[in-house]
Order: sequence, then C-alpha cells, then structure tokens
Amino acid sequence: MSKQLLIDAYRGKRTDSAPWVPYSGVHCAFLINEKADDFLKSPELLAKGVVHTAKQYKADGIPLLFDLSVEASSVGCELKWWEDNVPSVSTHPCSDKTPEQAGLTIPTKDSGRWPTVYEAAKIAKPQLDELDCAMMGLICGPLTLASHLAGVRIFTDVYKHPDFAQEVLTYAGQVCEAAAKFYVEMGCDIIAIVDPVASQIRDTTFHEFVTPHCQPAIKVIHDADLTSSFFICGDCTRVMDEVCKLGTHGFAIDEQLNMNFIRDKAREYGLGFGGNLKLTLSLSLGLISPREDAIVSLAAGGSHGYTFAPG
Amino acid sequence: MQEAGLKRPSQDTPKKNNFIGDWHVADEKIQVDVLTLDSVQCAACGYMMESMAAMPDEVQSLIVYKEWSVKNKTGVGKFMELKGKVLPSIAIEGDIVFPSIIPQYEELIDEMAKRAKTPELAAKLKAARDKGFQFDKVTENLANAGSGQNTRVDS
Repeated sequence: MSKQLLIDAYRGKRTDSAPWVPYSGVHCAFLINEKADDFLKSPELLAKGVVHTAKQYKADGIPLLFDLSVEASSVGCELKWWEDNVPSVSTHPCSDKTPEQAGLTIPTKDSGRWPTVYEAAKIAKPQLDELDCAMMGLICGPLTLASHLAGVRIFTDVYKHPDFAQEVLTYAGQVCEAAAKFYVEMGCDIIAIVDPVASQIRDTTFHEFVTPHCQPAIKVIHDADLTSSFFICGDCTRVMDEVCKLGTHGFAIDEQLNMNFIRDKAREYGLGFGGNLKLTLSLSLGLISPREDAIVSLAAGGSHGYTFAPG
Repeated sequence: MQEAGLKRPSQDTPKKNNFIGDWHVADEKIQVDVLTLDSVQCAACGYMMESMAAMPDEVQSLIVYKEWSVKNKTGVGKFMELKGKVLPSIAIEGDIVFPSIIPQYEELIDEMAKRAKTPELAAKLKAARDKGFQFDKVTENLANAGSGQNTRVDS
C-alpha cells in the first residue's frame, strides 16, 4: 500500500508499478455485513467499512464515500434509500424554478449528511494513514448535481433554455466548490469531481455547461496543494478531449472505453488516468475472466500515470 | 418484471376490428426499452429512465417502457437482442435510438412518433410535443416500470 505511488500516478508521473484503487462504495457495507443504508447513515460504520476494505484489498487509495446524492440531499433533494445500493434522488427542487426562486443556499458543513461524512473522516483518516492508503474525497460533479436539482429536463434546457440551465449549473458549481472545501478540511489526499452524466452530452455542451462549473472546485483542490481528478462514466469518447482540458491532474473512466485510446489521450495531455476494469462483464456477471481482464488492463495501462481500478 | 401501463392480452383472445379483448390501445402502445447498468447506482442510467417516467400524462398512456439492467442475465439477453453497444441506451420499438446520450424532450417525442404503429398514435404523440416533462408522477411511474427493482444479479 502506498499513498505516494497513487498520487504520482494520479498526477501523470511514471511509477515503479501501477497503484490500485477499489471504488468500493457500498461494497464496503457488504464486506462488513451491514446494509447499505445503515452503513451510509452511520459515521462509525462508514469508517469501519472503508478501513476494512482498504486492508482487505491492500488499496493504495480508497474513497471515503462514493455516493453522489450527498450534495443534493444537503440542499433539499429528497432521497429514496436502498438496503443494497446507494440512495437515489427522488425530488428535484429546480424542476420548475431556478435555485434562487427555490430558495436554495450554499451548504455548510452542518447541512444534510455532511456531519456524518466529517465524523467518518475523523475516524478513518488516521487508520488509513497508518496503512499508507490515500483517503479520497469524491464530489458530485456539476452536471450530475444539476440533474438532481432540475431533473432530466436539464438535458433539454441546455439547448432550449440555456439561461435557466446556466443558473442551475452555476449554483451546482458553487455547491461543488463548497464540497471541495469540506473534503480539504477532512484531510483527503486526493479529491475527484465525479460527473457520470457528463458523458451523455455533446462535446460543445460539455465545454459550455460543465467545464466552467468545475473550475471553482478544481481551484480549491489545487490551492490546497492536493491532487485532483475527474471521473466520468459511460461512453465518453465524444467528450474525452474536453475532459482532458478541464485542468485536473487526471481522470478516470469506466469499462466502456478502449484502454489504449484512453492511455494515448492521457499521454497526449500529460495526465494521470485509471479505471476500465470490467465491473459488469467480469466482476459482476463473470462473462469475462477477471484475471485476464486485469492483465489486459495492466498491459494497456503500463506504468506511466496509470492507476489500476474498476470501471 | 412489471411494465408500466401494460397488460398483455391473451394469445387466445379473438381479434376484432383491431381490438384484442379490451386492450386495443395497449396493443398499439410504443414499446421503449431502456438498457442500463442499474438506474439506482448509475446516474446516467437513472436519468435515461427518468426521461421516460417524466413524460406527461398524455404520453404515458401511449407508451410502455421497461428497464433492462445488464446486472442480470435477462438484461444481458435484451442487450444482445437489441444489439446494444453502450450503456445506457434507449431503444424505441426495437431500434437503439439514443446510445449513451440522454435525449431532449422533443427528440424523444419525435423518435417515438416516427415509430408509431398508426397515424392516430403519431398524431397524439406530436400533439404532446409542447407539453414538456412532468415531474409530479416520476416516482410512481418509475416504480411501475420496475426501476431499480430488477438490478440484482439474481433478480
């Protein structure tokens, strides 16, 4: 386990071997025989699960929390909880009004579930440090947060009502900035903006509606001299150049992209990159050998800015 | 798996004047299949599903839609059958129309209208083009479509 190895890879540097990050999320709850909703609501269980998982998987880094509803629930979105999954956002306060009209304010560390996250970090951080494992803070990205706030209409509004979309996204960017500050305060070593729905739009839309609203959070991370990344899911081929131009130290993608393509993009822009293990086809369904999949990923990723991780 | 607003007529039910039992309209409904990883876990998948669940009442009565998660073998089978390439994707009447792109409201209406089985159905869909998304029944519609209910490996 090596925190520095991971930070070097995330920053696009050469490493002796590829570091490894399990994006364990509520799998941590499974490993400690707890229900996902109980795990996410208890700082003690959160910390216990994360530390246990880091030890079991000999991780070089691990997310403190992988739950993209924290920011949304801290500003008024209601959640549906699941025993074996992350909560889903069930109401959208900006479905018919702007954030200002809805009376939304920027969350503080006392808002919503943030006190639970702070407390979990306080318990987990020293134990992860002892393991030489990086603690990672994951922020819900601006477009995903805007979707939580306004619902699916945001994907129409970016074309039909761009002023409304910009208002929602500007607010979302400010919430991301606040979340970045929280994770800095908690002592995270790496902070990533996680914007899975940003793969579902055109590159020009990404440039206009995602790129600017990531900048406040990226500035917070870099001003604290921490390492930044941008996680995106799905087939993000059409927006990859925009992802590379965001200004983060690196990015991570999922199993749907070709690792050789991603490696070459990362090298072209001098960035760290990771992900791509076949979470569904291999680890979940067993349609592909996990061992062979891992070997293919390691061979393609190499040891120049690459982090071995699920997609 | 329950399908929103759909009750299939019995194969034995006599067909008269385009009526099959009582289910004339149901038979003409537009079939939409949403291929996902998991609409709870994956935000993009969730908003693909919501693009259907937030269709206004006028449209809800004209469509049936269902989530197919590749976390189980039935979902993988549907993914193969529809020749899916990426997740999430929306298929309308068996055509993959929105692969890894969350559609705009009007795009969805237009693509469904193109594939309507009758001119009357196409006209009804086009008439809803200016309505826009409706969010007050999203939770109920998602539940009816089995969203998040069939995303386990053993489901």
